[in-house]
Amino acid sequence: MAVEQDTIANPSSHDAVRREGGAGSRSATGISTLSAAALIGPATIIVVILLVAPLIILFRYSLNRFVPGKFMVDALTVENYIKIFADPYYRGVLFRTGVIAALCTALCLVFGYPAAYLLARTRSRFKTWLVLLVVMPLFVGNAVRAAGWMVVFGRQGAFNSILSALGIVDAPLDIMYTPLAVIIGITGFNLPFMVLTLQSVIEGIDPALEEAALGMGARPLRAFVRVTLPLSMPGVVAGSLLCFILAMNAYANPVLLGGPRFQMMAPVVYAQISEQSNWPLGGALAFVLMLATLALTVGAHALVQRRHRRRGIA
Amino acid sequence: MATRSPQTRSRAAVSRRRFLQATAMTGAAAAFGPGPARAASGKVVVGTWGGDYQNLIQKNIAPLLQPQGVDVIYDTGNDSPRKTKMMAEKMLPRGAMDISALNRAGSYEMYRAGTLLEIDASKIPNAKHVLPKFATTWSVPHIFSGRIILYNPKFVTDKPTSYADLWNPKYAGHVGIIDIQYQTTIQSAAMISGGSFTNYEPGKAKLMELKKLDFKMMPTNEAMAQALKTEEIWMCIMWKARGVMWQNAGVPVEIAAPKEGVVTYISDFTIPKNAPNKEGAYAFLNAMLDPKPQEGFIEDMGYNPTVDDVELASAMAKRVGFTAEEQAQLLVEDSEYLAQNDAQLKEWWDKEFKS
Repeated sequence: MAVEQDTIANPSSHDAVRREGGAGSRSATGISTLSAAALIGPATIIVVILLVAPLIILFRYSLNRFVPGKFMVDALTVENYIKIFADPYYRGVLFRTGVIAALCTALCLVFGYPAAYLLARTRSRFKTWLVLLVVMPLFVGNAVRAAGWMVVFGRQGAFNSILSALGIVDAPLDIMYTPLAVIIGITGFNLPFMVLTLQSVIEGIDPALEEAALGMGARPLRAFVRVTLPLSMPGVVAGSLLCFILAMNAYANPVLLGGPRFQMMAPVVYAQISEQSNWPLGGALAFVLMLATLALTVGAHALVQRRHRRRGIA
Repeated sequence: MATRSPQTRSRAAVSRRRFLQATAMTGAAAAFGPGPARAASGKVVVGTWGGDYQNLIQKNIAPLLQPQGVDVIYDTGNDSPRKTKMMAEKMLPRGAMDISALNRAGSYEMYRAGTLLEIDASKIPNAKHVLPKFATTWSVPHIFSGRIILYNPKFVTDKPTSYADLWNPKYAGHVGIIDIQYQTTIQSAAMISGGSFTNYEPGKAKLMELKKLDFKMMPTNEAMAQALKTEEIWMCIMWKARGVMWQNAGVPVEIAAPKEGVVTYISDFTIPKNAPNKEGAYAFLNAMLDPKPQEGFIEDMGYNPTVDDVELASAMAKRVGFTAEEQAQLLVEDSEYLAQNDAQLKEWWDKEFKS
C-alpha cells in the first residue's frame, strides 16, 4: 500500500507515467530509461572490469601449461582440470573441504538458531547490547581470531591448563593442528552470520502464530517444528548458504589451526599460485572450487525450495 | 659530523673560479664517471622479509644511503609471494620493486624466468670483496648461514654427528620436520641415502622410513622454536643462525654439524629488469656489502658476512661463524636442479610424505 500511495503521489515515477499514456509519456519513459542507463552504465562497467575480467584471465591461465623452470607456457589444454579430477589427492582435498564446510554449517545452525530466536523474541532493554555482542567478533579479522584460538589450543594453552588444573587430563591434549581445531575455528567465525540472518527472519514472524498453536493444544516442540521452523526457513536457507560459502573458501583457519598436514581447497590454491608459481593448476583449482561451491549452493537451495513447495509453504 | 665541519668551512670560503671548476668536474663525473652515487637518488623500494630483516636493513643499511639522498622504502613479505609478484609484473615497463630479496634457489628461478637484470659489478665497488663461492652474475649475496642439526641435550644425550641420527628409533615421535623446509629436508635425507645435489630421489624413500618411525611436522620455523622450547621436539634440521638466536632466546638446544657437510643458505638481493630506480638499487647493493652493516647482521641476526673485509672477532661472530677450513668445505646446492625439480619435490612432499 505504501508503495502504491507513493506512486500516485509522485507523478514522475515510472508507473504513473505509464498510466498517463500517450506519445509524450513514451518519450519521457525513453528519456528516463536512457538516464538510468547512463547512471548505471559506468558502475556496471567498473564491476565488470573488476569482477569478470580477472575471472576471464584466471580461466585463460587455467588452460595454459606449467613447465618447471619456465613457469607458464601458452597452451589451450584442459590437462589441469583432468589432473584435479583424476588425482585422488586433489579429489580428497575437495571432498574434505565440502565435508568440513557442511559440518561447520550444520553446527552454526544448531548453535545459531537458539541464539537468534532469543535475540528476536527478547523484550529485554539489553537487546541492543546482545546484538552488539554477536556482531563484535566481526570487528576482529579472521586471522587474528585464529591466532587467538592458537593461544587457547596450544599444549600449554588456556584449554589444556584448565583441564590439567581440574585434574581431567594428565598429559596435554593435542588440539592444535587437528581437524577439530579447524571445525571450531570456522564455526566460531561463521556463527555471527548465521545468528544475524536468522534473527532478522524470526523477528518478522508474528508471535501470535506460535501462541495460537500453543493455545490450540500443541506442545512447545510441536509448535516450533510445525509453525516457527517452517516460517523461518528462508532465514535457515540464507544463513546456511552464507556459512557454507564462507566455510568452503576458508583460508586462515585451515592454515593456522589445521597445520601442514590438513589440506583444504583455498590453502591449496594459494600454495600452487604463490608458492609453486604454478598458475595454470592454481587457476584450475580456483575454478573447480568456485564451481563446486556454486553447484552445491544452488543444489541445496533448489532441494530446500522444492521440499518447501511440496509442503505448501510459500 | 667531525668530517663535515671542515667541508662546511671550505664551502663558505669557496671562490667563484673554484665553484665553476667544481661544477664542471661534477658535471663530467656525472656524464662519464662510474660509481653508484652518480645518479643514485630518490626512493629505492626493497622487497624483503619483514620483522628483524627489515628492521636491520633500516638500522644498518639505510643510514649509509641517506647522505646520497636515497630513501629506502620496504615492500615486505615472504619470498614466494614476491616471486609471484615479479612474474605478474614481468611485462610491465615499471615494476613495483627496485630490489628483490630471495633465497639462492629463488633468485636463480627468477633469473631463468627472465625477470632479473645481469648485475653490473662495476657499479658496486664493494662487489670485489664478495666471497667467490657465493658470487653470481644475477644477484648480490647478502648474508649466509649453514644447515646443522639442533638437539636438546637433555633427551639426545649422544651428540648427533650425522643426519642419520634423526632416524634413530630412540627419538621416534620427537623429531621435528618443518613444512616450508621441504627442499632442504629431502636434500638432507638424500645426503645419507646415496643421493646428491643433482639427485634427491633416494631422499624420498629415506623420508618414508622416518614417516613410519613417526615425526612431528611444524608449519614454520617459529612453530618449531616453540615446540623445541616446550620440549615436544628434541631434534630437528635448522640453519645455524636461527639456532644461535634461539639459544639466546632460552630455547634448550645445542648445535651439531653433520659429517655429510654443511650446506649453505644464501640470502640473495637482485634487481628486477623493470626496476624504476636502477641506480638507486646499485647504491643499495653497494651499501649492503659495506663492512659495517655486514657486522650488524652478524651481531643482531646471527648470519655470516658474504664479504672478505669484515672483522670476525666478536664473541657472536665466533659462535655463528665457520672457520676458514669449514668455509672451504661449505656446500652450495645446485640451483638448476632445484629449478627443474622443485614442483615435483613439493608435489611428492604434499601427496606422499605429509598425507
